[in-house]
Amino acid sequence: MDLLVSLLSVALLASAVRLTVPILLTALGAVYTERGGVFNIGLEGTMIMGTFFGAAVTHVVSRALQTPGAEAAAESAIAPLAGMLAAMGAGVLFSLIHAVMSVTFQVNQLISGVALNLLATGLARFLNILFFGVATQSPGIRGFTPWSIPGLREIPALAPVATGISPVIPVALLLVVTGQWVLLRTVFGLRLRSVGEHPRAADTLGINVSRYRYAGVLISGALAGLAGGYLSIEQGRGYLEGMTQGRGFIALAAMIFGNWWPVGALGASALFGYFDALSLRVVHTAIPYQFITVLPHIATILVLAGVVRRAVPPAADGIPYSKEEG
Amino acid sequence: MSARVRLVVLQVAAPALAIGFAALVASGIILAIGKNPIDVYVTMVRFSFTRIDSVAAILFKTTPLIFAGLAVALSFRANVWNIGVEGQYYVGAFAASLVAFGLRGLPAAAHLPLAVFAAVVAGALWAFVPIALKLRRGAHEVITTIMMNYIASAVVLYLLADVYRDPTQVGTPRVRTPLFADEARVPLLGPLLNRLGLAIPEHSALNGFLVLGLVLCVVIAVWLSRTRFGYEVRATALNPDAAEAAGISLDRVRFVMFMTSGGLAGMVGLSDILGFFGYFDIDFPKGLGFLGISVALLARNNPLGIVPAALLLGFLDRGAQGVQVFSGVPREVITIMQALIILAIVVAYELLTRYVRAQRKREAERAVAGPAMRETAGGS
Repeated sequence: MDLLVSLLSVALLASAVRLTVPILLTALGAVYTERGGVFNIGLEGTMIMGTFFGAAVTHVVSRALQTPGAEAAAESAIAPLAGMLAAMGAGVLFSLIHAVMSVTFQVNQLISGVALNLLATGLARFLNILFFGVATQSPGIRGFTPWSIPGLREIPALAPVATGISPVIPVALLLVVTGQWVLLRTVFGLRLRSVGEHPRAADTLGINVSRYRYAGVLISGALAGLAGGYLSIEQGRGYLEGMTQGRGFIALAAMIFGNWWPVGALGASALFGYFDALSLRVVHTAIPYQFITVLPHIATILVLAGVVRRAVPPAADGIPYSKEEG
Repeated sequence: MSARVRLVVLQVAAPALAIGFAALVASGIILAIGKNPIDVYVTMVRFSFTRIDSVAAILFKTTPLIFAGLAVALSFRANVWNIGVEGQYYVGAFAASLVAFGLRGLPAAAHLPLAVFAAVVAGALWAFVPIALKLRRGAHEVITTIMMNYIASAVVLYLLADVYRDPTQVGTPRVRTPLFADEARVPLLGPLLNRLGLAIPEHSALNGFLVLGLVLCVVIAVWLSRTRFGYEVRATALNPDAAEAAGISLDRVRFVMFMTSGGLAGMVGLSDILGFFGYFDIDFPKGLGFLGISVALLARNNPLGIVPAALLLGFLDRGAQGVQVFSGVPREVITIMQALIILAIVVAYELLTRYVRAQRKREAERAVAGPAMRETAGGS
């Protein structure tokens, strides 16, 4: 009974919500790129770029704003906002490489993604040495002023979930709803999906396949960058090498588990977020901590092995499209 | 004939151009931090090739890359994507360590092969999970192998720190296994090469695994080009549907290639631990599995191409040390360059493939158009 209570404790759930966000944002990005027919395993590297640029820009901007008379509250919102935008921008630029490689040059998308992940590790270390003199971490930074829900925060039992809410959390939830609407109801979404299902048919109807595939990849970059920014600005309060811990890959699994839909990705990400939170909280058990830390990874394998048969990927997912050949 | 010569030239030029492109971008980065790229490259080459022990060091760094490259190439050849070489070699190296320090009193002729065998089995076992889940349950092997990498490092860390840590080291910051039995260590190449007149210094760790790696490259090349199974692999890669229609079991080809890949991956770390360290510790070299992907791509998954590709990356890795020490350029520049080489090389090969296809088409058109034109000329 004790175990059950602790598995459902409010503090654990609050932590699970926080840890769901980076996986969810990246999984949402993965939905866009794969719906357009481009497999993007470089999202892990894109997240890494987001973590670095998010933290670095937040640090630089908050330094620049540190004038004696300035109002503290205004400053604390501008710097992390700039950081988030920089993280998204870095994600877009980084995924542009993937788009050029896989859409324009039509190379193997898996390999391009793996190379991007390698590039991201090297680049983040290099830039960190350049900016901060050390390879693995940035100075500490301050994120957004956390929100709390009036009314609920007064109830002690609910305080962990009702306070300390990052503004990025509601944004992420909003993006789920928007994503579902975009893919189901808008011209852009339908065309994006057509390009991922049957590019030749789409091409015949006059849809510019390359342009839509570029759009899908770049949106995924923006979202993965934002996820990285959230990790370093809101959660880590600074950049730390390896802080993504494979969440970019886990997000891909969440997208598959969510059957390539934003709402499905939300459910799957929540599951992985829960395991992530569990891996951080369970300390005093008979199970060695090394095994607890890989709970999310084990869960990922089990989920892929258990449910994937039911999942149907976009028909042209991962297949380069060229106008000339059939 | 001239078209064929041009093709050969292009095939050599493609990787050269890709490396040149990567070096160019890296030069930009070096310039940006206020250093002279030419100086840096000169330092790299001078550091690497002016002394025989430096050459030996490059060959030592090349050794694990040959195994890693082969492992990746074999899976890629069968269109299954083993991104898990990284994890497979951790468990392989740890399994070999268990045998190497756990058993005592065996003759070298039995102990060393037993350690290698343990590594192969452990690597293959780690590869079995993702391939079985792929073939039986449809789980995407790219994601499962990456997850297995994380699990491998957790398992190895646990076994190393909590179960098999050398009891005499407790209380010190060193986390490592007990020393291996001498019988499990691999013979060094230094003494042999010295007898041939090369002055390999005493401290060089160049060892028998280099020879094993070279032999394996040749054996696998023959296996894939001269046997029935090799033919099935090629058929599967070229056209899976046609291969299946011809009675080839795709699942069997993929399974065998993936498991062989895992077994080879198990041996990646052996040159380092059995040839140099003599124990397994927490600073065991990491990242070789991912470098293996670069090696395989550079070699276009050709077993014989693995050797020059591994040499190139071994040189870059060694050069990175020199650059860091003598030019004050962070070695990460070289990591960036390795990633750029992959990106440039896949583009170069893709363009080459397109060129060849266009060339063939043109030749075929000419062959068809030639007689037809003569006919019309005769009829008029």
